[in-house]
Amino acid sequence: MIGRRTFFGAATASVALGSLLKSQAAAAAAQAAGQIAGNYDPRGMVGRLERLGTLDLESQQDFTEGFRLMHGKMIRKASNDALERVLARNGIDPTTPLTKEELIALVENEPAINIASKAWLANQQVTWKSLQDHFHRHADEYLSEMDAADRAGPGALELNPSMDVPAYTRHEIHIQPGGYVGDPFAGHMYHYGTNSFYIGVIGHNEQDQIHKGTAARIPLPQDGKVKRILDMGCGVGQMTAAMKERFPDAEVWGIDIGGPMVRYAHMRAANLGIGANFAQRLAEDTKFPDGYFDIVVSYIMHHELPAHITRAVIVEAERVTRPGGVYYPVDFLSGGTKMPARNMYGRWWDHRWNNEVWSFEYHGLDFTQEIAKRAFTINKATPAALPGFGARHAVRNA
Amino acid sequence: MATTPETKRQTYTVEAIPSDVKNGVFLGNPMLDNLVSCVIAMGSEMWTTKRRLKVLEAVMSKAGVTSEMVEKYQPTEQELAAWEQERGRFIEMTLGSLANDGIRGVGADYPARD
Repeated sequence: MIGRRTFFGAATASVALGSLLKSQAAAAAAQAAGQIAGNYDPRGMVGRLERLGTLDLESQQDFTEGFRLMHGKMIRKASNDALERVLARNGIDPTTPLTKEELIALVENEPAINIASKAWLANQQVTWKSLQDHFHRHADEYLSEMDAADRAGPGALELNPSMDVPAYTRHEIHIQPGGYVGDPFAGHMYHYGTNSFYIGVIGHNEQDQIHKGTAARIPLPQDGKVKRILDMGCGVGQMTAAMKERFPDAEVWGIDIGGPMVRYAHMRAANLGIGANFAQRLAEDTKFPDGYFDIVVSYIMHHELPAHITRAVIVEAERVTRPGGVYYPVDFLSGGTKMPARNMYGRWWDHRWNNEVWSFEYHGLDFTQEIAKRAFTINKATPAALPGFGARHAVRNA
Repeated sequence: MATTPETKRQTYTVEAIPSDVKNGVFLGNPMLDNLVSCVIAMGSEMWTTKRRLKVLEAVMSKAGVTSEMVEKYQPTEQELAAWEQERGRFIEMTLGSLANDGIRGVGADYPARD
């Protein structure tokens, strides 16, 4: 949290930064000699996606992806139809704003809605359990691979196992077992588990297509200078890697509180020969010097933060973005805890049962307005970097 | 299964705050919820098997292995033992949800936490 600045301190951060960049150079030389030692890759690659470790696991994920698609087309439609019937039965116009409490009272005993909820969750649980079982069954191979990759390059990795991990980060978001901090294979599970999320909601992302497209649409500073980039809450590093690929000469950092997440992010980027750096740090306390970055981004992080942490992250972004630099946090459209019933149900349900613990706090904010309260100017003409999500092109004031 | 595998290696993990999704009751009777979990898991296992068969058939036909050779195959003791273990995993995945005791209604708030 913010108070931890006194523990690590700016001087410590500077030293760590210097030594990290030296080790990065050494690691890059090692990487040039060939693939990372200890690489565990039993079934090869499909493009830039390492195939899952067994055919059965790949097939289980194939099933859950297929089920999710069917659910979106058929079961969710039946659920939505049922909701319309409930509203009609109670004489409620579907566009009437309702609170979540009012909505829960309406749908709590509606079978067609609840079977949709149950089936979706059961499928999500199979996604996670099959992945977790596999990685735990082969724990030694995968942990050994990560141990070796931690020291490999290109790109450095900083882990802080003694750091205080705030409680707000410890929830099992998306009901992923162990969340982002509690399972050594959190990164592995998140990466493969979210591929079906993307197919169900946006489109294919197995080759990082969505992250690359988003990175390509991040606006440049007006002077065009991009030497350093920060990706806050980088998860498994797909956006970080995409930014490094777009700006190969820039120093690019991805930070995340999840130790297993940044380990996986670094390992994957290194295996792909992408020289992005990763560190286990908090977005609200990045440890970087003032004005260090030309571009600061985040990718779908803020809806997983309490409102006061979102505000703290914006303050930190203001601190580390240089005058004229760009701050562009990609996230859902925000604003409003009371909305039309058909929209409110999905939002509440995702919050409560898909364990998006903080999403109601996020949606209680006008996120863009929160950014505008700080030393940023919002460029409203810029289109969304990720279509369908909020456009937040903020330029750091001088 | 334990959240963290037994290992002497550094895992860089801390204790997570667990979701209570297993205790959620959506269908009035918690056992109905459990049955739905079983059906979904069973579906995943069935598709996994069917997909493996498709791969096998494709590989075998290229390698000259006939269906008759498969029908007459006699497994070894080691194979039988390994398959028994796999059967246990299969049954746990497909039917283990019957052991969940659903105690939270759909509208239940989060459990009290420190």
